[in-house]
Amino acid sequence: MKVSRRDFIKTNAAAAAAAAAGVSLPASSMAAAGDDGIRWDKGVCRFCGTGCGVLVGVKDDRVVATQGDPDAPVNKGLNCIKGYFLSKIMYGQDRLTRPLLRKKDGKFAKDGEFTPVSWDEAFDVMAAKWKEALQKKGPTSVGMFGSGQWTIWEGYAAAKFMKAGLRSNNIDPNARHCMASAVGAFMRAFGIDEPMGCYDDLEHADGFVLWGANMAEMHPILWSRLTNTRLTKPGCEVHVLSTFENRNFELADNGMVFEPQTDLAILNFIANYIIQNKAYNKDFVDKAVNFTKTATDIGYGLRPEHPLEKKAANAGKGKLTKITFDEYAQSVAKYTLEYTSKLSKVPEDKLLALAKLYADPNKKVASYWTMGFNQHTRGVWVNGLLYNVHLLMGKIAEPGNSPFSLTGQPSACGTAREVGTFAHRLPADLVVMNEKHRDFAEKTWKLPKGTIPPKPGFHAVLQNRMLKDGKLNAYWVQCNNNMQAAPNMNEEGYPGYRNPENFITVSDPYPTVTALAADLILPTAMWMEKEGAYGNAERRTQFWRQQVDAPGEAQSDIWQVMEFAKRFKVEEVWPAELVDQMPAYKGKTLFDVLFANGQVDKFGLDDLQKGFNNTESKHFGFYVQKGIFEEYRLFNSAAGIPKKGHEMARFEQYHQARGLRWPVIDDKETLWRFREGYDPHVKAGEGVKFYGKPDGRANIIFAPYEPAAESPDGDYNLWLCTGRVLEHWHSGSMTRRVPELYRAFPDAKVYMHPDDARDRGFKRGQVVKVMTRRGEVTTRVETRGRNKPPQGLVFMPWFDAGQLVNKLTLDATDPLSKETDFKKCACKVVAA
Amino acid sequence: MSISGLVLHVRSDRTDAVRAEVAALPGVEVHAETGDGRLVVTVDEADNARASETLSRFSTIDGVLNTSLVYNYFEQDSDEEEEVNESL
Repeated sequence: MKVSRRDFIKTNAAAAAAAAAGVSLPASSMAAAGDDGIRWDKGVCRFCGTGCGVLVGVKDDRVVATQGDPDAPVNKGLNCIKGYFLSKIMYGQDRLTRPLLRKKDGKFAKDGEFTPVSWDEAFDVMAAKWKEALQKKGPTSVGMFGSGQWTIWEGYAAAKFMKAGLRSNNIDPNARHCMASAVGAFMRAFGIDEPMGCYDDLEHADGFVLWGANMAEMHPILWSRLTNTRLTKPGCEVHVLSTFENRNFELADNGMVFEPQTDLAILNFIANYIIQNKAYNKDFVDKAVNFTKTATDIGYGLRPEHPLEKKAANAGKGKLTKITFDEYAQSVAKYTLEYTSKLSKVPEDKLLALAKLYADPNKKVASYWTMGFNQHTRGVWVNGLLYNVHLLMGKIAEPGNSPFSLTGQPSACGTAREVGTFAHRLPADLVVMNEKHRDFAEKTWKLPKGTIPPKPGFHAVLQNRMLKDGKLNAYWVQCNNNMQAAPNMNEEGYPGYRNPENFITVSDPYPTVTALAADLILPTAMWMEKEGAYGNAERRTQFWRQQVDAPGEAQSDIWQVMEFAKRFKVEEVWPAELVDQMPAYKGKTLFDVLFANGQVDKFGLDDLQKGFNNTESKHFGFYVQKGIFEEYRLFNSAAGIPKKGHEMARFEQYHQARGLRWPVIDDKETLWRFREGYDPHVKAGEGVKFYGKPDGRANIIFAPYEPAAESPDGDYNLWLCTGRVLEHWHSGSMTRRVPELYRAFPDAKVYMHPDDARDRGFKRGQVVKVMTRRGEVTTRVETRGRNKPPQGLVFMPWFDAGQLVNKLTLDATDPLSKETDFKKCACKVVAA
Repeated sequence: MSISGLVLHVRSDRTDAVRAEVAALPGVEVHAETGDGRLVVTVDEADNARASETLSRFSTIDGVLNTSLVYNYFEQDSDEEEEVNESL
């Protein structure tokens, strides 16, 4: 019996793989169809921003199998190797199942031991601390740090609770660390967030350029689609730029290792080449583009007293000034082939081959980037410089011509960006600084005018600084591991969390570095333990149903936020003049006002899908996820909204479809935006219209090369670049709990050029210390393997909680996007 | 019990060598091959750790451009549990 059951499963595995590869197996090898007792339903992968469809197999309230969803357009039945661990991330040995509070002598103490408590006691202590902070210092003393791994409704509920309930804009997602520069550039160039193209460009393009994106390891499914196009389409070429050689170079026709920060110069060189050779698309430029330049010498987003900030002429400035085409041409003229090659250390012939690809009117080009561009002290600039190249050529917003910002987290777009979890944002691209936007949000939420504060809150890096300075005192971290992920933890993060003035709550399924630095840990239901929705990098919104129950007392993030909201009476958190505008709210709780408002609680339990549990809805007595989503649609799909272009389908449609790409108009998704014939917002005869801008034109924005915040010098003589490896996603908080994944890549190491190792007398595998001006970490030297740095640069991954590389990094950020540059600081490596 | 179905994308000049190398790995069977250099493979191992090592071996074979997982089933290998499930 045992053997035949095994064979049966193996046959299923082979058949599924064969189908995904487009071949069929001989009938004789197929086992007789049988019922293996597994219930299959559609889901979305928990790991990266690609957004692969996954079929989830459940037996006895446990996920036992997963399969790449053959009906999912993103991955067409394939998953990457990380998908192997999807069914296991919920079942780590150290899963948290009860709230844990630091206690001494039976009561809360900052220096106490973690002790199991009830949800009631946890929320009692937490609410008392939050109310104390609010009373003493007002709404700016409370804050929340969320995630691009939150589901759409979790992010929406948290943002609403903080901004409208507690009246604090101090909410920011960890997407600040990965996407903020991309967002800033989208808004400056196009006036609306997120890519104009989609993954279909992977088949339409004739040439691909990777700018600081390790797709082979980080987005393997998209990489497999790109590989397929490269190998099957005659003349297709792949160009790869990175500060060290990585796995993408194996497929590259033109692999380029450049000196860190000189991507700014390389992009200006390409623009210069296009203009010098009169290759630009004059019709497109005349019709659809404005030329501007941005303020320069803008500092590095460090604390204001830092010498680099004092020295900067225009610290933090992002002002755009209109210029003519000729002025733009003059600005890029200095970036000649010779100058750029010398600065970047990329040979001239390679730079030329790259420029020629972009300048060839007959080649469709797709450009991809992730953290190499975004985690950059000039991240908004460098994103913009790439748009300049695509806009000059008109190679944008049509099949195959696609500048495309890839995302790291599964819902960096759908949640962090779209529902407004950033310190300055509201749902659907609205911002707190704009009175009309605040008015609209308050009206939609049925709240008095003046509820939402107009000043942006503390962004991610500033939150840690304010915790350390004792200005942010009650703080809640959900769905991320920011102690490990944020820069400069020695000088900012850890002192902030352990500041005796502060009370830190961390919600997580596992005891992460962040959770262990907290005062209260709340156990969280994850992934398939709740009904969820993510939005991927190509604007695709995807839903899944709750497949299994969470262990012990673990509860989802949305349950936690909504339940915590019950602890606050309106009068406790709003000034009298606000309450007086809406006397009906007197005596009500924030839960009543925000979630039992006739909108969020509009749909009853009858609407739930039979055969599936929905823990939150049963607890609160209404269909929580549907109510939130339909209220969210009042921001992006109702008549009279302030910003069109984000339209979404009705809730139920997403439970049927394998995701839909917004804008969804008349039930139809949009693949390419801004282009007549593809985007219903562009009328017949308009051709191309960047309707995010009032005049329908995109901005070409000149920005020069400026050096990094910290470069190697005599003492700290190497560049330190940090990043990920294939086997671990996020901070390793989930993937490191899967023993076999841990074995595949157990500990971090420092990748170094063999000559740099030899010069320092190191052997491969030797224990060494990596040191910066901020701290040191002990690790081992690796001179072979998947990453090959050039001389003068070392690479170290950051997933390892035993080797906290962010003790080393500098909290220099892009002054415009406030995103940290995790890719560049100066270090030295010495024998341990 | 850990059973996976995978598709390996192989460089065309290395197809034969890769097929032989892959098939020689423990618990691995090659079921089919497409015209454009993709292999359909299953990995059948007693436990997750060994399966995982086999999966990570694929990407180190010269000529394997990409490894995609399609199907994975796993179950704690307790014999009693297996018997109970069998009787259903």
